[in-house]
Amino acid sequence: MGSLREPGRLREIAPEKIRRNPENPRLFFRAEEMDTLLASIKRYGVQVPITVYAEGDHFVLIDGERRWRCATKLNFRSIPALVQTKPSPLDNLLLMFNIHALREQWDYLTIAKKLPVVIDRFEEENGIPPNEIELSEITGLTRGQIRRCRYLLDLPQGYREILENELELPKKAQKLSEDFFIEMERSLKTVYSRLSDSLPPLNAARDALIDKFRDGKIKAVTDFRMLSKIATSIENLDVRESKAAQAIKEILDRHSRSGISEVYAEHFEVRYDERKVRLNVDSIYEYLNWSIEQNELHFGENLIDRLRELRDIIDQLLDD
Amino acid sequence: MPFDTLNLRLQAVAAASFGHCKARYGTAGAKAECEIDKDIGWKPTFHVKSGVKIIAVEVDDNLYPEILKIAAHDIGKSEKPIVVYQACSLEAFMLDKKQTQINKLKKDGFGIITVDDQNNVTIQNVAVPLVQHISEDDLDREIKGLTQKIKVAFRAAHTTYASDAGQGLQLSGQIIEALVIGIAKAMKKKGLAINPNRAVADVIDDIYAETTFAKYRGAGLGGARDFIKEFRNIASHPSGNAKLAALKLKKCKAGFFDATKLAKKLRDIAKKENLSIQFHVV
Repeated sequence: MGSLREPGRLREIAPEKIRRNPENPRLFFRAEEMDTLLASIKRYGVQVPITVYAEGDHFVLIDGERRWRCATKLNFRSIPALVQTKPSPLDNLLLMFNIHALREQWDYLTIAKKLPVVIDRFEEENGIPPNEIELSEITGLTRGQIRRCRYLLDLPQGYREILENELELPKKAQKLSEDFFIEMERSLKTVYSRLSDSLPPLNAARDALIDKFRDGKIKAVTDFRMLSKIATSIENLDVRESKAAQAIKEILDRHSRSGISEVYAEHFEVRYDERKVRLNVDSIYEYLNWSIEQNELHFGENLIDRLRELRDIIDQLLDD
Repeated sequence: MPFDTLNLRLQAVAAASFGHCKARYGTAGAKAECEIDKDIGWKPTFHVKSGVKIIAVEVDDNLYPEILKIAAHDIGKSEKPIVVYQACSLEAFMLDKKQTQINKLKKDGFGIITVDDQNNVTIQNVAVPLVQHISEDDLDREIKGLTQKIKVAFRAAHTTYASDAGQGLQLSGQIIEALVIGIAKAMKKKGLAINPNRAVADVIDDIYAETTFAKYRGAGLGGARDFIKEFRNIASHPSGNAKLAALKLKKCKAGFFDATKLAKKLRDIAKKENLSIQFHVV
């Protein structure tokens, strides 16, 4: 096995001599991006060589599948390619991860499907599986990205297929995105870690949320953050567990017309707003109290004006 | 594996439409992801042969992808009669609600094949070889300024041309003949010694010889004389191989446009000479 740090030899290779990399997961190419690249390559040629390694009578792609596809489609006689020595299976995979983490972002689902292979190969070579920090270092992904991938990875197969089908649709027809599933899973994790006993089975909840999103009853993927806040209201707002569970059950009932934002606005929004104000008041109170205790009372004019305005409005409010 | 760079949905579209084309045109010459010609910068998803014609199909759910624009340019210069279709899922086709891209494809001479979820194949728009194609827009631009009656005649000729280029050219030639005879009849009415009942070529010679018409001997009359001599010849050109077929189609297309231009010139002659011509296509 050679090192990928060694420079490759530059060659012109016929596109039909090149094969896709079996380690490369099935990618979802955006038609619009491919069209732009195709037009550019038609006009200027392939300006950046692809990277391949030789195997038998052909070459295997390490980097440059889009460029190779365009050159093939445009019936190019040859394409410039850097020929590397054949990498080890783990190096092969990690190289692709790093290319795509840093330059051409893969879809999270694409990454998610390959992460277990990276973990397995790492374990084979090192005897122990990588922790999240190591995984981040070797793949070039941030820990946040790895966690987002894990939400997709943990999806039951049927839901992953739903997402795959969506990603293959023309952009205009796509309704469910990776962000939808990531946000949904994150909120369901928050919800079910607190209230699983009183809620429907997880897949029924997923089905209801997907239906409601498709029907427009859930308007945005960010609404799932409100669902999480309903669940955490038990500890954050001292809401009774039964009340939070009832609200969530209504959202997770596919036959009800309630979306997340309506339920949240009706029962929780004001209380969260009050909590936010209370925290801010606490913060002001603490600062002022500390200033009095420390005898540090040299406030700027601007702050004094604002405190007076605040006092006036508080007086007005409390007198009423 | 053919079509393995396509996603699963497009693989199904490709397999169904390829199967349909093979059933319709035969498997000889049917190839997946192969070049049609080394000088054409496009490898279609698949192509089949129909006589001397090549039916090439690009499978994509992105309607009117960039590659078809590139292909059209190269095919225009090619010496092969190539018919080009885009095949897509019925869903992608239906998504173009205002038919913007669909109309662009049709206007530029591309056919459209759709495949539904049950793999049923439908030809939404039939295409002719790109070298033969004259769009409705181009036709309208060409016949602008002609009388309504002549426009109708050219539109009828164009309809025929779309399915049979040679026959369409014949019809456009008959429009020119009718205009020449109309001019000759009007000249005779004015007392000039012209016999409109002779063969058209002879009638043109007679008009040509008339001194008051000397100023039109250049492009107008000369052009009509050359055209009438040529168009029957073009229409009956043999097209035994792809190269000859493409050549014939190119000539038919050029001939059709020549006819519209000549019609305008002959109308101008009649106008300038105050000839009220009766237009009647035989």
